[in-house]
Amino acid sequence: MEKLMSDLKKQIIEQLNLQDVKPEDIGDDQPLFVEGLGLDSIDALELIVLLQQHYKIKISNAEDGPKVFRSVRTMAEYITTHQPSNA
Amino acid sequence: MKLYIHSSSAISPQPGFTDEGFPAQIRKPESNRFDVVEPEYREWIDPKLIRRMSRIIRMGVAAAKKSLQTAKLEMPDAIITGTAYGCLEDTGVFIQRMVEQGEEMLSPTAFIQSTHNTVAAQIALLLKCHNYNNTFVHRAFSFESALLDAALLLEENPRQKILVGAADEITSYSYDILSRFDIYKKNEEVGDKLIGSGTTGTIAGEGSAFFVISGEKNDQSISCIDDFASLYKPVDAGETEKFIIDFLKSSDTDIKNVDLILSGHNGDNKGDAIYDALQEKLFGGIPMRTFKNYCGEYPTAISFALWYASLLISENAKGSPKKILIWNHYKGTHHSLILLSAC
Repeated sequence: MEKLMSDLKKQIIEQLNLQDVKPEDIGDDQPLFVEGLGLDSIDALELIVLLQQHYKIKISNAEDGPKVFRSVRTMAEYITTHQPSNA
Repeated sequence: MKLYIHSSSAISPQPGFTDEGFPAQIRKPESNRFDVVEPEYREWIDPKLIRRMSRIIRMGVAAAKKSLQTAKLEMPDAIITGTAYGCLEDTGVFIQRMVEQGEEMLSPTAFIQSTHNTVAAQIALLLKCHNYNNTFVHRAFSFESALLDAALLLEENPRQKILVGAADEITSYSYDILSRFDIYKKNEEVGDKLIGSGTTGTIAGEGSAFFVISGEKNDQSISCIDDFASLYKPVDAGETEKFIIDFLKSSDTDIKNVDLILSGHNGDNKGDAIYDALQEKLFGGIPMRTFKNYCGEYPTAISFALWYASLLISENAKGSPKKILIWNHYKGTHHSLILLSAC
């Protein structure tokens, strides 16, 4: 789980071009949107693409989005639960 | 009707975006690609927003914000831009990813920002401006079309203050593709040798220029557009000559009262021949200066010329020109004239 969260932080920074943000600046349980990292709806789309590209996971139910993308830890937990075995 | 320029701003291959006036130290092209000198964008744009902006968006938004700041205008009555190529970098990224990723899992940001009206839209979003917003994409008449739209709005309501501007960028993709048409010079023919080089080809340029204009003069007015006009695909030099004569006549201007001709010479001897021929015939004795040795060739380069001419007039020093005729053509097919005066 720790390795996955570390990878996710690097991938989020790269995908969203978060300038001046380092992986260690993002807390495992820090909210990603609004008051936390300050991401917005376009970033949410980028995160959906990130899950598909890197982990072959599609979020089919839009209502899952806020729960999945709450923090790096919730993303990692979702990936662990839903990742196809051959990914 | 007269259009009063209340402020102007440009990001160009010349340094000194934040300075007043034209840079004292002129930057010369060192190759056939003349990129802009990028200012510290964080001074003008929220860093959180910069991360999503490609170069053309940054240079357009920063120039627009500086122009608004100089004019002390928080909310323009309209935002009108012109661009020939639009957001090429984002378009290139989007298309490249389509190919690489088999048209699946595409990043939305590049797609969203690949449209031609992104610069005008981003300015409006930053200002929370819900007023008139339009972008003109008419190749080398894009800026002139934006200016015409602004003039029509001001004809209806001269008190309005309109943000009008243009932006175009060079990208690796566009430079490589345009180079195949053999329209750029060999690198050894640039620098001081560009204008009057005697060879074909020019240098690739880019930039953004923005203006706050109004139909009413105020204390901030720095110059005044008396008139402007365009001519598409003249059949010969005679038609271009008639276009210039008719323009001066319709704007009630005696050529003897023009202090400076600012011409669009770009170093291509074929394209520059018309300037040289008509300079002697129509403008004998009137000083002529060029501007593309400062900004390179691109379809909205005339917006740089308007910025430059406005600075020359607003210097208000002894000997500075009071009336300037800008004459530009792009590849011989798009001729434009702008008559600018002190006010």
